[in-house]
Amino acid sequence: MKIINKSEFLGLMEKWISSPGLIAPVNVAQTFRSADKEKNLIVFKKIETKDEVLADYLNTVKPVKDFFLPPSTVFDYERKDEGYNFNLSEVDGKETIIFGLRPCDAKSITLLDKVFSEDSEYKDSNYAKKREKTVLVGLACTSPDIACFCTSMGISPFSIAGLDALIINFKDSYVINTVTDKGKNLLGSLGKEAGREIDEEIKTLEESVKLKIKKTCNTSKNLESSFESEEYWTKVSNSCLSCGVCTFLCPSCYCFDLSDESAKRIRCWNGCVFLRFALMSSGENPRATKKLRYRHRVFHKFKYFREKFGENLCVGCGRCIRHCPVKIDIAEVVNNA
Amino acid sequence: MHENIYLPNLCKIEKITDETPDVKTFKLAFLDESVRNNFTYKPGQFVELSVLGEGEAPFCLASSPTRRGFIECSIKKMGKATQAIHDLLEEGDVVGIRGPYGNGFSVEEMKGNDLLFIAGGIGLAPLRSLLNTTLDNRTDFGKITIVNGARTPKDLVYKYEYETWQKAKNTSLHLTVDCADESWSCMVGVVPKALKEIKPCCDNAVAIICGPPIMIKFTLPVLIEMGFRPEDIVTTLERKMQCGFGKCGHCMVGGIYVCKDGPVFNYAQIEKFKEEF
Amino acid sequence: MIKKLQEEVKKLLAEKKVNMVIGYARAGDAINAIPYFIANPEECGALIWDKTCIYNLTNYLIDMRNKKVGIIVKGCDVRSVVCLIQENQIKKENVIVIGLQCAGVFDKKGAELGAVGRERAAKCKSCNVHTPPLFDILIEDKEMNQKVLQQEDSYKEIREIENKSPEERFDYWKKELSKCIKCYACRQVCPLCYCPVCVADQTMPQWFSRSLSLEGNFAWNTVRAFHLAGRCIDCGECERVCPMGIPLRKINKKLEKEVKELFGHESGVDAEKKPLFSTFSKDDPEEFIK
Repeated sequence: MKIINKSEFLGLMEKWISSPGLIAPVNVAQTFRSADKEKNLIVFKKIETKDEVLADYLNTVKPVKDFFLPPSTVFDYERKDEGYNFNLSEVDGKETIIFGLRPCDAKSITLLDKVFSEDSEYKDSNYAKKREKTVLVGLACTSPDIACFCTSMGISPFSIAGLDALIINFKDSYVINTVTDKGKNLLGSLGKEAGREIDEEIKTLEESVKLKIKKTCNTSKNLESSFESEEYWTKVSNSCLSCGVCTFLCPSCYCFDLSDESAKRIRCWNGCVFLRFALMSSGENPRATKKLRYRHRVFHKFKYFREKFGENLCVGCGRCIRHCPVKIDIAEVVNNA
Repeated sequence: MHENIYLPNLCKIEKITDETPDVKTFKLAFLDESVRNNFTYKPGQFVELSVLGEGEAPFCLASSPTRRGFIECSIKKMGKATQAIHDLLEEGDVVGIRGPYGNGFSVEEMKGNDLLFIAGGIGLAPLRSLLNTTLDNRTDFGKITIVNGARTPKDLVYKYEYETWQKAKNTSLHLTVDCADESWSCMVGVVPKALKEIKPCCDNAVAIICGPPIMIKFTLPVLIEMGFRPEDIVTTLERKMQCGFGKCGHCMVGGIYVCKDGPVFNYAQIEKFKEEF
Repeated sequence: MIKKLQEEVKKLLAEKKVNMVIGYARAGDAINAIPYFIANPEECGALIWDKTCIYNLTNYLIDMRNKKVGIIVKGCDVRSVVCLIQENQIKKENVIVIGLQCAGVFDKKGAELGAVGRERAAKCKSCNVHTPPLFDILIEDKEMNQKVLQQEDSYKEIREIENKSPEERFDYWKKELSKCIKCYACRQVCPLCYCPVCVADQTMPQWFSRSLSLEGNFAWNTVRAFHLAGRCIDCGECERVCPMGIPLRKINKKLEKEVKELFGHESGVDAEKKPLFSTFSKDDPEEFIK
């Protein structure tokens, strides 16, 4: 691992703003009165000036899947002779650097890859192109909150899964861990060797951060046995509003709608928690109750996806718990199932 | 196939046949010659047909892959996309087709067996694909019995095929309607009742059933009573489908994507689904 | 106060006057409050009442309209019960309202931290229903009656925006509404958004595009505000649940102000009255008819 002075690194980041382009967490809360200052709203945004980039935050509201699977992708077309001309390329050829994503978000991208870019028969070409053109530079997490449970989901606040490079905030420097070739190409020449002592201190730091995470999720639990328990699933989903916040803010949820409107084909976010998600045109709705929909959500994340792809469809980022209007806690739901 | 999995290939409508007051059959040919000549599929698979700008919906292929150069879909008017299909399309228009998707019937495994086709209303569409495939390879299969039911004589589909099927070797066609009219001379009654009268033999036989849920609900026990094993009773499941290739999540039943792992399932598999369908 | 509340609820359930009572309990994290559905008298011990009880529970009444339900409400919440009765969505005979006297609850952040001394929610600063206007059982807060509850001008922020130029206002709302992700949490949490098929979800015909755009966000938020005009009771839940922090209360409050000025109407106060837009009177303003 290498170590670099913070101001030096920030100077390099400034260069990235113009070339090739930088996306990083920014606080976009628009304060109308000074009393609203506390309403932080941290999202990933294309950076215009280096002062926008945040140094200290928990996590963004919207996850990084926003860039690879945007809320809506529009393919437009026009009539041409006998047929139609489709606007195929929605991805421009430019490279981008996404900086500041947490290891939980980075891990979610590896899960999405399994569905969208690693499926050779039905590869989402736009998604794959974007993945190729993007360099993911993560920022290790040093102050998790009570909703975080990444340590139960096979990663840690310093995890490198899905990242091209990981930056660790260390005293007044940044320690750089380049993971892939893309990461090495971007950052390999920076800084100087950290040395064994610092490597050890980083390890100790990682362990101390892991200890801060109190919430656990027992993913080895056999959910199957609770499937039939109407009482349990009614109880946990009683307060659910079927509102969609958990699905839209989840970094690994990927269900979508494919629909046609005049001169457009649209691929947009959708989620199994919505009432009409499984509704058929005959009027039948196989998951007409909140109980059925919530059970399906939990089972998809903690059973079905794992059976198909080997990993749970959850990274423990805690957004669903933090932002759920009625504070439904998915980790507790799994633990008590 | 299109490079982008979300965008369709284009097809011209060669012929529209009015089957019943709310069902039309569309005969389509791909605009692109190489796609038209090389497009192949299995009976029981489906395509996503789109009226560009209006909507897209899944329809099983009613044509048989043994007959190349065109595909056929039979479409019932039900929602936004099918309304657009019925009201806006004319012969010569261009539509989008994505597919073929789904697992299809295991035709190879059915070879050597007797086949019992049980259809209700438009459920005959995917069965027609399999039926014509077997008739085009007649000697590979045993006795074929077709039981086709509908609410009234007007709701029967593919009437122009009945004579051919009736005349095929070792093949019998039985028609039944729930409510007859003066012109009707065949059986009257629901499909399970007709089945009991016909008494098909279950030895070395596979039953393929497709129709409205209520028909299946009452026909299934009759088949079991006649001695058919659940693994020898095959059907196609219906669910809301959008992408067709197992990603959008709409058609999930438990951990299974009906569009990708189905829509053809046998009853031994369906009994294992914990989630109701 | 909590003891009295638990006793009353226990009595209601024991006497089988209701099938279920909806109230608040403590979440697993020991900080937040969560909605609590009680069917048995023994479960009443878990009921809580404090400044973290920010939710408007009346949202759940719509799905239970055929059952006899007890509901624990603050003054702001019960106004939506009044509206639901006015609009024939629930029958008064089926609902037993347990009203709580309330001096104010935390804002969203405060509720999450459970911290004492946090600011009251913005809506509480202009509250005039510290005692619920409708109740079957009242749980009094003896301490509250002694506090001096200053009521701020509830339209202060609205006037600030009104005084801006159209360009400044448009700019402000462009910035705010560009954040909208159409998650529809605002609609789902609102007790008065109960349309079986929301206009945004209709496919035949399709009114809203499925794609995300600034125009679409403007359309959605303004249509929702207009559908709530004369009905919204400013419980503030929509703004609380919005994950993107859009100041939705401002939009609804602007229409609330218009309705007050034009028709002298306040929603959710009198259960006998008809909803505003289902009636007309000869004195209704007609300046727009020339």
